[in-house]
Amino acid sequence: MRSAFAYIPRRGPLQQARPGAAVAYLGSLVVVAFLYSSPLVLVAAGLAACVAGRLAGARSAVRAALRMGLGLALLIVVVNALVVDRGETVLARLGHWPLLGQVDVTLEAIVAGVSIGLRAAVTMVAFAVYSACVDPDRVLRALRPLAARSALTASLVSRLVPVAAADAGRLRDAALLRGPGAAPVGRGPLARRLLAGSLDRAVDVAATLELRGYSLGGPRGARRREPSRHDARFYAVALAVLAAAIVGKAVGADDFHAYPRIHIGTGASTLAVCAVVLASGLAPWRRRRRGHRV
Amino acid sequence: MSELAIRRGAAPALAVEGLTYTYPRAAAPALLDVSLEVAPGEFVLLAGRSASGKSTLLRAACGLVPHFHGGEVGGRVEVAGMDAIAAGPGELAATVGYLAQDPETQVVSTTVAAEIELPLEMRGDGPGDRARAVEEVALALAIPHLLGRAVDTLSGGELQRVALAAALVTRPRLVLLDEPTSQLDPVSGDELIWLLRRLNEEWGVAVVLAEHRLERCLAAADRVVAVAGGRIGFDGPPREFLAWTREADPTLTTPAARLFSLAGIEPLPVGVRDARRLLGERGAWPGEASVTPVPHPGEGRGGKTLPTDRPLRFAALRKRREDAALAAANLWVELDDGEGARDVLRGIDLTVAPGERVALMGRNGAGKSTLLRAAAGLIDPAAGRVAAERMALLTQNPSDYLVRERVGDELPGAAGLAALRAVGMEHAIDADPRDLSGGERQRLALAIALAGRLDGDGVPGLVALDEPTRGMDRGRKDDLVALVDRLAERGAAVLIATHDVEFAAEFAQRVVLLGDGVVIADGPSAEILSGGWYFATEVARVLDVPGVVSPEHGASLIAGGAA
Repeated sequence: MRSAFAYIPRRGPLQQARPGAAVAYLGSLVVVAFLYSSPLVLVAAGLAACVAGRLAGARSAVRAALRMGLGLALLIVVVNALVVDRGETVLARLGHWPLLGQVDVTLEAIVAGVSIGLRAAVTMVAFAVYSACVDPDRVLRALRPLAARSALTASLVSRLVPVAAADAGRLRDAALLRGPGAAPVGRGPLARRLLAGSLDRAVDVAATLELRGYSLGGPRGARRREPSRHDARFYAVALAVLAAAIVGKAVGADDFHAYPRIHIGTGASTLAVCAVVLASGLAPWRRRRRGHRV
Repeated sequence: MSELAIRRGAAPALAVEGLTYTYPRAAAPALLDVSLEVAPGEFVLLAGRSASGKSTLLRAACGLVPHFHGGEVGGRVEVAGMDAIAAGPGELAATVGYLAQDPETQVVSTTVAAEIELPLEMRGDGPGDRARAVEEVALALAIPHLLGRAVDTLSGGELQRVALAAALVTRPRLVLLDEPTSQLDPVSGDELIWLLRRLNEEWGVAVVLAEHRLERCLAAADRVVAVAGGRIGFDGPPREFLAWTREADPTLTTPAARLFSLAGIEPLPVGVRDARRLLGERGAWPGEASVTPVPHPGEGRGGKTLPTDRPLRFAALRKRREDAALAAANLWVELDDGEGARDVLRGIDLTVAPGERVALMGRNGAGKSTLLRAAAGLIDPAAGRVAAERMALLTQNPSDYLVRERVGDELPGAAGLAALRAVGMEHAIDADPRDLSGGERQRLALAIALAGRLDGDGVPGLVALDEPTRGMDRGRKDDLVALVDRLAERGAAVLIATHDVEFAAEFAQRVVLLGDGVVIADGPSAEILSGGWYFATEVARVLDVPGVVSPEHGASLIAGGAA
C-alpha cells in the first residue's frame, strides 16, 4: 500500500510548477513559522499549509501530517508544562518529582508550548504537501547543476522522504511477522531502524546515481526545460508572504509573549500578516474552465 | 567468444591484478590477491558459494569498492584502460553498466520510464535518442507495459528488470551483473541470458555475470571464473569447470552434469542442447519421449516412501477445507498499481493440508506475493475469503526484518539461538546484520520469522516463504530443504513462492502455478515440473520424459535404458 506522503502525479498547479517555485512557496510558510511566535500567525500559517494541501489534492498527506504534527505538538506542550516553571498563573502544583524537582504547571508554560508545537506542526504539514505534490525526479534534476559532485546530497534531498515512507510500511509488516522467539520491535527501535535504514538507502541511491552518471559532465540542458505557467504565481506568493512576514516582524506584528503573563497582540499589523499568510494558502487553487462548444 | 566481437589490440574490458580488499571493521579480507582479465566481447560467468567474494569483485570493477564502501584496498583494477580505484563509479559510468543484487536499492526515480531514461539524460543524449533507446531496451526486456508505472508498485522481479534496463540502456562496454535472474521467473531469466549473449555477440559488450543458478547461463558463457574464499579457484572453459567441480566443490555443478556423472557418461554437458546431443551420440537415451505420464517413483527425501495414491489424496484434501493449514475460496484481491486499481488475484481456490510442501510458482507479477500477504492478513481481500492457521511468513526483502545492530540482539535466549542454529548462522551471533552477505541476511530473516516456532506447540500451521533462495548457493538451499522437511514432519504446511525450478523440485510435493492472478496448474511437482518448456527442471528439459525431474531419477532411467 502506498504511503500518504508518496508523490502522486496530478494535474494541479503545484504539481506542474517547477520544484524551485513549489519549494519557494511552501518554504515561505515554514519561514513564517520559524520567524513568528504569535499563535495567531502560526495558526494562519498552519491553515494556509492545510488549504494548500487540500487544493493540491494531497488530503491524505495533510491528514497524516496533522495527526503526527499535532501529536508532536501535544508532547511539546506537556513537556514544556512540566519542565518550565515560569509564569504567574499556576494551574496545578504537582509536588516534587525526581529529576524535575518542584513541578508547577502554569498557563503561560502551556501557551508557550502551544506556540512551539504549532511551529513544528506547520513545518510538518508544509513538508508533507511538498512530499506529496513535488515530483522527486524533477527535484533530482533541478539539483544537478547545484550539486553535480554530490549525488548523496541530491538523493538525501529528493529521495529520503519517499524512500522512508515506502520503507515504513514494509518495516511495520515485518515487525508483525516476527516469530515469538525473536526480540519484539517497539516503536523506538522501529523508528531508529527507519532513520538508519533511510540514510543507508540514501547512500545506496547515491551510489546508483553515481553509477548512472550523475557526476558526468553531460550537457545540463539536454532535457528540455519544463516551465510552467504557474511558476510566476508561486514565486509571487512566496515573495509576498516573505515580504509581509519580514516587514510585519519589523513593525511589531509578532506581538506575543508568554511570560510572566500571556500577551497575544491583535493589532492591525498582526492581523494583516495573518491575512496575507492565510490568503497564500489559496495559491494552488485551480480555476476550472468550462469546455468550449464548437 | 566471438572472434568478431573481440577487438584485438584494444585494452581489456576489465583487468584486475593482485587485488586484495578488506571491508571496514572486517577481520579478514573479502578478496585476496585476485588477478583476472576480461577481453572486450567476452562473456564470463562468476561462480562461487555465498559470501565467496563474487559481489565484492563486481563492486571493485565498477568503482563502488572502495569509493562507497571504504575499507583497505591493494592491487590494481582497470576498466577499458581506466584506473577504477582512482576514478570511482562516476567516471566509469560511461563505460560500465552494473546491476546489484537488490534491485530495491537501485531505483532512483518515481516512474519506470524516468528510471530508464535517467542515465541517457545524465550523458546528455537528446530527447529523440533517449526515446528510441528507452523503447528498444524496454522491448528487449519485455517491459514496455511497465513504462508508465510508478516504481513503488512493481513486484520484485519487475523491479529487477527495470534496474537491468537502466544498466543496459547506455550500451556500456562492460556489463557487471550480480545475480540478475534471482528474482526473475524462468521465462524472463532464460530470455535475459540470451539477450546478454546477443549484446555480447552483436555489440561486443563484455559481460561478467555472478550467478548461483549456473544451469541457466553456463551454456552462454565463454569462460567460468570460480571464486572461493576471496581467491580465484578456477578460471577456464565451462566444460572444464564442470570437471573441476567434481573434485573441488560438487555444490557448484549443474543438474545436467550431475545426471551425466551419476549415469557415468563423459564429457559433462554445459547445457540442455549439449546434453541432448551427447546422449544421442552415445545412444544413451532412456527411451522415446512419452506422452504417457511416468509414475513418480514415490520416494521422498531420505528414502521415505510417499503415498502412491497421491492424486486421490490431493482431491480428498481439497475437500477438507476445515482441516486445511491454508484455505482460500474465491479469493479476489485488488491493488492500486499507480494506474488505478487492478485485480491481482482473481477467484483463487486453494487448499494446503498440514504437513504438505507446496511450491507456488508463476511469472513475475502473477500474484504469488499478494496471495501470501493476503493469507497473512496484511492485505484485505476484495471478495472471497482466505484463512491460514498460525501462519509464519517471510516476505521478499530480508532487510525489513533486521532492526538491531547485533545478530544476537535480534534473537535473544534459547529460542533465538535454536533458530540461528536451524539456519546455520550461530557463528555470526556478534555480527552486525548490515555486514552480512545477501544470502546470510536471507537466512537471518528466516530465523527471525521462525524463532520460537521450531518445536512443540509453537510450530506454525503454515510456514510461507517468499523467494527465500535469493543469494543462496546450493549448499544453503539443501540446508533450507532440510529445514522445510523438519517443519513439515512436525505438521507445518510449507508454502514457498519461488522462481527456482530446481529448488522447487527438491523440496515440493506439489506445485501450484499462478498466471495473471488465477491458478493455471496444480499437481504433483514431478508432473508439473516436467511438463513445460520454462517451468521445468534442467533434467526434465534434457530427457523430456514426463515425471522425471531429478538427476537421480534420470540417471536410474538411463541406466535402465542402457541395460
